[in-house]
Amino acid sequence: MHIPDGFVPPQLCIAGYGISGFVTWQCLRRINRHSDPSAQMPKAAMLAAAFFVASSIQIPLPPASLHLIFSGLLGAVLGYYAFLAILIGLFFQALFLGHGGFSTLGLNAIIIGVPALVGHAIFQLKRWLPRSPALRYGISGFLAGAVGMTLAVTFFISLLIFTVPTGFDVATERAALLTLGIAHGPLIIVEGIFTALIVTFLQRTKPELLTGLVQPTNAHSQTVQPSGEQLCD
Amino acid sequence: MRLTLDAYATLQSPLHRWWPRAKLVGLGLLMLGFASVQQVQLVPICLLVTAVLYLLSGLPLSFLRSRLRYPGFFLLGMVIALPLFSGGTILWQWGPFAIRQEGLLAMGLITGRFLSIVTIGMLLLGTTPLLILIDTLVSLKLPPLIAEMALLAYRYLFDIADQLAHLRQAMRLRGFHPKGDRQSWQQLAAVTGTLLVRSYERSERVYKAMRLRGYGYGHSWTNQIQGWGQATDVAAVGLCVTITLVLISLQIWQIVPGP
Repeated sequence: MHIPDGFVPPQLCIAGYGISGFVTWQCLRRINRHSDPSAQMPKAAMLAAAFFVASSIQIPLPPASLHLIFSGLLGAVLGYYAFLAILIGLFFQALFLGHGGFSTLGLNAIIIGVPALVGHAIFQLKRWLPRSPALRYGISGFLAGAVGMTLAVTFFISLLIFTVPTGFDVATERAALLTLGIAHGPLIIVEGIFTALIVTFLQRTKPELLTGLVQPTNAHSQTVQPSGEQLCD
Repeated sequence: MRLTLDAYATLQSPLHRWWPRAKLVGLGLLMLGFASVQQVQLVPICLLVTAVLYLLSGLPLSFLRSRLRYPGFFLLGMVIALPLFSGGTILWQWGPFAIRQEGLLAMGLITGRFLSIVTIGMLLLGTTPLLILIDTLVSLKLPPLIAEMALLAYRYLFDIADQLAHLRQAMRLRGFHPKGDRQSWQQLAAVTGTLLVRSYERSERVYKAMRLRGYGYGHSWTNQIQGWGQATDVAAVGLCVTITLVLISLQIWQIVPGP
């Protein structure tokens, strides 16, 4: 679900960079306001790398298999850092795999990053959900994943509509876009289920991962007591 | 997963010697100029400029081939339908299949733009070490937080990829064969979750180690990339600006006739 180089007109590329620049600025403002960036940066960076690697895991869905984008999960775990992590992840994807592009980096960041921020907001619904933790995290995780994916698909298809050449047969265009939309339906469900499964796993094993990185902290008053292993890291 | 990037960054060529800040701006503008091309007649100019720059860089063709393979297939999947469904001038017909001129030209335009932009991007990255590139981006006002995140993520990317490979190998040795059933999904979710938990725990150790080395106390990014280099570096940027302006002007004033 990445727009490659050369596929969209430059106006869209520039608008993509402009909007993603604005969103990045807003995220940085929130991060600086609510937390100590230097304390959370390593966590955000390592998790960004982990998400980049995890997105290579193939999920079997007979007769095929698919890759997930994890935008909802990124939002749930990283909070406002999610957009920055996605920006970096997309940069690496363009760099190492040729997936996406440099001129379309801003657009791709919007396609995947904005749904991650929405996923972060939706994940906060867990406060108002049933008391059972498994159910609470499962439902909010599913919604974050499924809504995130739905938004990403919507943005992607909208951009495709903008870029279809004018001479393209209207009936074929409609059929192609409809097929594309329907084909992404199962992906939305799988993304939701998989996000719910991972979120409930994290809730059982490492619940602090789900509190979001942007929390009011007083990092400078932390006492650091390193072990020998930490000193050697 | 081994993702080598800086393999050719130490070669000696005019592009390698081009001052990074000037190179980033010059090639970035050139990419913008290529992206602005809407007339297929201008595509040969883009490809010619790209080919000349690639020859100047001294990078082997295998480098470009390896980088173009995956996005090339992806683009082919996206543009293959254009000659069949776009436009009304039929060039060749066989039963229900017809190749249309307008669609063919649109395919040529998109493919040409794609090849030019991706190659210029690869030229930038193939001739500049990643650390220098990020330093250059910071000198052009990229927030240091993003630069630090990118560098740390890059540092641990390979380790985490190795970790995932080990996890997969361990699962295979225990007889795991992914199917589309619930149990397989749960196990794959557990693998993904384990990867995240291990990365998180490691990040805590890394942070403490960084703090002990002074990170976070009056920390500021010390930028080594300043200025725009020598007169030749600036002249090269000027050349890129000229090419971009020529491409845009040719279209605004419609100097090149349409097909």
